[in-house]
Amino acid sequence: MSAESQPTPLSTAAQFFMDEEEGSTSTYDRVVELVNQATLMQKDVQKIGNLRQVQELIVHKEPGLLDNFLEEMLAFQSDKGNEVRKFIVSFIEEACKKEPDLLGKCMPCLQVLLQDENVNVQKKTILVLPNIYRTIVWWLIKSKPGNDEEKSFVWESMKAMKNKMYELIDSENDGIRTHVVKFFEGYVLALSRKTSESEVPKGMTPEKALTLDDIPNEHKFLKLKRLEEEGAKGFDIMLRFQASPHISSINLMTVMGSITTIAKQRPDYFSKVVQAFEALQVNLPPTLAKSQVSSVRKNLKMHMLSLLRHPASQDYIPQITTLLTDLGATNSEVMKSMPKIDESRKRKAEEASAPAKKAKVEIEQEEDYLTTPFVERGTTSVIKQKPADLQHTAIDITSNDLYERLTPHNVADLVLISMVMLPETMPAHFQSTYTPIAAAGTEAQKKHMARLLATQLTTAGMGKGIREVQKQQSDTSKEDGSASPEYQPTSPKQTIQTVVGGLTAQEIEDHIISRPSMPAPMLPVKRGIKIFKLGAITQPLDRDRLDNMTASAFKRILKAEKNAAKGNALQARTKLLASLTSQFGGELKNLLQEYIFEDLRTHSDLAFAWLYQEYANCQGFCASSLGNERLSMASYDECLTRLLSGLMERPEHPTQGLFHRLLLEAPAITDNALEILRRFFVDESKVVGGMNTLKDLILTRPEHRLRFLGILLESCSHEKPEVRGVAIRVTKKLYENENLCGPIEKYAQRTLKLLLDPKPPPEIFGNLRNKEFIPDAWTEDVIKMCLYLYLGLLPCNHKLIHELAVIYTGAIADIKRTILRTLETPVKGMGMQSPELLTLVESCPKGAETLVTRVIHILTDKATPSPELVERVRDLYHKRVPDVRFLIPVLNGLTKSEVIAALSKLIKLNPIVVKEVFNRLLGHGDAAYNSPLSPVELLIALHNIDPTKCDMKTIIKATNLCFSEKNIYTQEVLAVVMKTLMEQTPIPTLFMRTVLQSLSMYPRIIGFVLNILQRLITKQVWKQKKVWEGFIRCCQRTKPQSFAVMLQLPAPQLKSVFDTCPELREPLLDHVNTFTAHQKACIPRTIMNVLEKDPEEEKRKQEEKRNIEEGQNFIMLQPHQIKLEKSDSFEPSSQFMPPPKDVTEIRTVQVLNDGNRNMDGDRQRQEAEKQRSSEEIQQDDDRRKRDDDRRKEDERRKRDEKRSTDPRRVKSDRDVMMRDVSPENTLAIAEEPMDTTDSSSRRESRRDRPRH
Amino acid sequence: MGVEMRVAVVCSSNQNRSMEAHSFLSKRGYRVRSFGTGNQVKLPGPSLDKPNIYDFNTTYDEMYKDLLRKDPELYTQNGILHMLDRNRRIKPKPERFQSCKDKFEVVITCEERVYDQLLEDMETREKDDMNPVHIINIDIQDNHEEATIGAFLICDLVSMLSESDDLDNDIDEILQDFEPRCQRTILHTVNFY
Repeated sequence: MSAESQPTPLSTAAQFFMDEEEGSTSTYDRVVELVNQATLMQKDVQKIGNLRQVQELIVHKEPGLLDNFLEEMLAFQSDKGNEVRKFIVSFIEEACKKEPDLLGKCMPCLQVLLQDENVNVQKKTILVLPNIYRTIVWWLIKSKPGNDEEKSFVWESMKAMKNKMYELIDSENDGIRTHVVKFFEGYVLALSRKTSESEVPKGMTPEKALTLDDIPNEHKFLKLKRLEEEGAKGFDIMLRFQASPHISSINLMTVMGSITTIAKQRPDYFSKVVQAFEALQVNLPPTLAKSQVSSVRKNLKMHMLSLLRHPASQDYIPQITTLLTDLGATNSEVMKSMPKIDESRKRKAEEASAPAKKAKVEIEQEEDYLTTPFVERGTTSVIKQKPADLQHTAIDITSNDLYERLTPHNVADLVLISMVMLPETMPAHFQSTYTPIAAAGTEAQKKHMARLLATQLTTAGMGKGIREVQKQQSDTSKEDGSASPEYQPTSPKQTIQTVVGGLTAQEIEDHIISRPSMPAPMLPVKRGIKIFKLGAITQPLDRDRLDNMTASAFKRILKAEKNAAKGNALQARTKLLASLTSQFGGELKNLLQEYIFEDLRTHSDLAFAWLYQEYANCQGFCASSLGNERLSMASYDECLTRLLSGLMERPEHPTQGLFHRLLLEAPAITDNALEILRRFFVDESKVVGGMNTLKDLILTRPEHRLRFLGILLESCSHEKPEVRGVAIRVTKKLYENENLCGPIEKYAQRTLKLLLDPKPPPEIFGNLRNKEFIPDAWTEDVIKMCLYLYLGLLPCNHKLIHELAVIYTGAIADIKRTILRTLETPVKGMGMQSPELLTLVESCPKGAETLVTRVIHILTDKATPSPELVERVRDLYHKRVPDVRFLIPVLNGLTKSEVIAALSKLIKLNPIVVKEVFNRLLGHGDAAYNSPLSPVELLIALHNIDPTKCDMKTIIKATNLCFSEKNIYTQEVLAVVMKTLMEQTPIPTLFMRTVLQSLSMYPRIIGFVLNILQRLITKQVWKQKKVWEGFIRCCQRTKPQSFAVMLQLPAPQLKSVFDTCPELREPLLDHVNTFTAHQKACIPRTIMNVLEKDPEEEKRKQEEKRNIEEGQNFIMLQPHQIKLEKSDSFEPSSQFMPPPKDVTEIRTVQVLNDGNRNMDGDRQRQEAEKQRSSEEIQQDDDRRKRDDDRRKEDERRKRDEKRSTDPRRVKSDRDVMMRDVSPENTLAIAEEPMDTTDSSSRRESRRDRPRH
Repeated sequence: MGVEMRVAVVCSSNQNRSMEAHSFLSKRGYRVRSFGTGNQVKLPGPSLDKPNIYDFNTTYDEMYKDLLRKDPELYTQNGILHMLDRNRRIKPKPERFQSCKDKFEVVITCEERVYDQLLEDMETREKDDMNPVHIINIDIQDNHEEATIGAFLICDLVSMLSESDDLDNDIDEILQDFEPRCQRTILHTVNFY
């Protein structure tokens, strides 16, 4: 226990000891912690809380730490929070008070803070400055010599800030001015001397109560005399500030309070203050509102009462009491505030006359009733009194002078004169300040009156007193120049002697002092003089005369151009004309305008000068317009519109340039000017110029950009296409500007959306245009008005296409049509590569298929589709809209197999479209097309189309289209096609038709055809019925050359040939008969049998039939009739007959070329054979009938052939060919198109025949 | 203003007009205090020449109880009890402006006499750091209805003032705007602590 208890007392002692130590370290730590926290804190209030604790700790608790932390604290001067900065200002004040050696570090901060962006921080800084100033002065007085550099730095900084104060008293900010006044209050108090009567305010510490008396006479920095002057200057500034005519009520009350304080604490200034108040009372600023006037007067009264209470008021009691009575103070109030003065003093004061100032002061000194032991009185005091006395006496002298002159006669005159100048309505401040005159006509009242007048006259620099004082001053001013400048009259040189009529001369001594630079308080007074003078001697001219004189004066200036040029005064003249016109307007405007338009080229500068002058007036830049309250743009607007419309009416071309310039250089564009510009567009010849002007306006005046842009955009939907076109072109140019594209786009979209309305909305037509014009329905013109701008923008911003697609889907048919029609240019402008277009194709909104198709068409017109586009279209086709029409534009981009697959669908479309398809596939017209299919492949593909997918007729039509392209399908090409097709098994149905067609087009290829026929035999062509039929027909067509081929047929097939075409048999037999014996031997017996037997068999059959039934003949003939009918229905040909010449000509050529195989020869031989075989008449008749049939059919075929190809061309082609082709290739006429239905019916008839 | 504006509302007895405004303003969240400038607190008594007089140290509660004891009917009827009841829920007792050392940015007085007394007091005060204070007078008659109307006006004015960032600069204009609205003469001056 003892062991434990023992350390306890020790430890308490130690603890105590340590506590103290800890205390100091913990203060340090605590400060560090607080500062650190403050740095991190977000809220100003918290920060200030911390900083305030720090201030408490380092300024008051442990001042030793102040130096350590000063830097850290000062760092907060750049804190974001205004309140924090304000706090730093007060911290600096505290710190410097505590430790003046820190001033050197703090002054720069204060200077920065004085420039702070926040007004409240500035004000706070201004507020602490007087204290800082005092601290500095005390520091300079008390500190030991040495360290001059720092001292001079601090002193110079202070001076800089003080100079700044001189500037800030004219600050824009009311609050700052208020604070500056307070600064000057402190400043003046510090730089002036105390007197025995100085009132000492409560709570005054010796530090605060700095006066000049505290400053030693010989100090290195503080020059007593200089500082005294500075103080007086500061005071003057306050007085001048108080007297400035537009002072605000707050400022006024502040300065009143301040000078009252100064007067009370520094009675040396007492008289000046009283006089300033006297002057103020009768010259309250006109800008004050009624309630402000009453506030100010209340304040004034309060200050006057408090001045009255001051012992120094003794000498000014009459002034102060009259002033107070004027302010509405009651007698008892005044009496209550009267200073308590010894009877003796009072008596003496009464005895003392006004000028005996010095004596009075001395009396006061003798009386010594308020002792201030440390102030030396006597001479200094007297000297101090002097400047104030001067002013005082000036008023006194004048008032005495006036008092004698206030005779009833003069007063009556004065009243009469002033009656003239009474304002119409009673001014607000007069109403509130007016107090009925209690004792009119008494001596006291007269004195008061005289004094009031004297005050006014003296402030205006007039009167007896001022002159006398002036005289005195000119003697004394050399050594004593501290009289306030605004009361200091100007040198005699500047005074002008003027004779002013009547009574005034008596009073004012015809002495008017004019001052070039009038100090502020003079202003209202000066106005008074001016009116007085002019009103007395001039009469207003009557209106007409005035106008006439103005106009003729103006005209003279206008005419004086040459003289002005000679005198080098052209610029002055321009300026003069411009300002005169803008200031007085009226007729002058017309005159100037006429003059300008007389010679635009040379007078345009005048136009600009006028315009600028008007603008300057409107903005209130001109002195002449100061009085004019309403600053409207009306006058400027009028000027601008006059000039512009004047220019517009002029026909000459150069006006356009000036118009442009005027608009561009005008300082502001009014609505009316825009209206004129808009009218400008109506004239087609001016549209381009107008638009360019507008464009420049938009580009050069960003502020009003939208306004101008609105007009431009409005013109984009102008009903005149020319205007619209130009506007859209300009808009497109502007659209590249990123600032403008937004509004343009928005407008375009808005107008586009109008298309969704059921009826054209009236807003399309703008407000300018004729309302009656508005149609009820969407006409093409109206649609275009809405559409063109948008379409114009499309190439610039591809994204817009989607919106268009949406509108398209929702629009009515007429609009859709117009959109499709107008789409070409913009889409071409966008090009195939545009990703947005591709997206559109890819997405293809429902309902916009036609639009998309159109777009694709436009894109691929005259250009091979890009792979991307093809890809998109293919996608669309396969996945979403399986309309083969989509494929057409991109056919050339598709693969061969795709085309072939689509071919069957493509050829089913309407003939015009099919033609288009073929044009594309065949690379027609344009080399740019790169068809995936060669002509050969195309034709082959057509042959290979599955007949189940597409009926033959359509395919035939399609092949016909191919054949009509003779340039492409030359005989070589056709030969390749035929060769390829022939190799196929089975042979395509249409093959033989193609062969026949080729043959008819190119008779020269007969050799090749025969070759094909031969090969067909080897392929057992008869197994495919249709092809076999074609084969037979081909043989028929190519006879006699085909005879050799026919002979190669096996007998049953040859028989089948004769069954179909019996007329072939005899020529063939004849042909065989012409063979040599050896040749004949080569022909198989079976063939010969068929050849020879057939007629008999036929005959026998017919006989049999006839025997069985007479009517059989008729039945047997029926298939022929049916066949004819069918062929008729298949080819409804016109009834004109083919020219026989054609046939005969060919025949003659044949005769010439090949005598051996002459057809005529054959026929002759046939005839001979006929005669030789002595057939029956019946048979003959029968044959004739058949021949007739045959002939008819031939003719019909020829007709068809004529119809299917251009007759003239075919003929000429044939003529040419006939002449230079080899004999074996020559062949007769083209075969008619083959008809499958026809052939099937024939087949039926053939089948029928053996049965019968 | 950066830091919340400190407002004082002053009438002569710190009972009716200033308290009405105090209650209004504090409900709106302003930093407000209320004062009287008279030498004593005067409340209407049974007749005009017999007012109830208290000194500023008497709490509202004590006054309430006192009047309740004297004539509950009369003081209920003329609304004095109700008023005191409200007052005691706002603060314990009336305060005299002259004995308050706190500083304000704006002081609003309800009567010209009060305004004068206040200015007089300000003149005699010890000057410290010269912070400006705006003193504004709005005349309000001393009855319940006018007090309510006045409180509305004061509330309006304070809200206008508190919106300003630079009161010293704007106050002139604000008052010019306000004056026609309240249809009475506004006195205004600036003073410095």
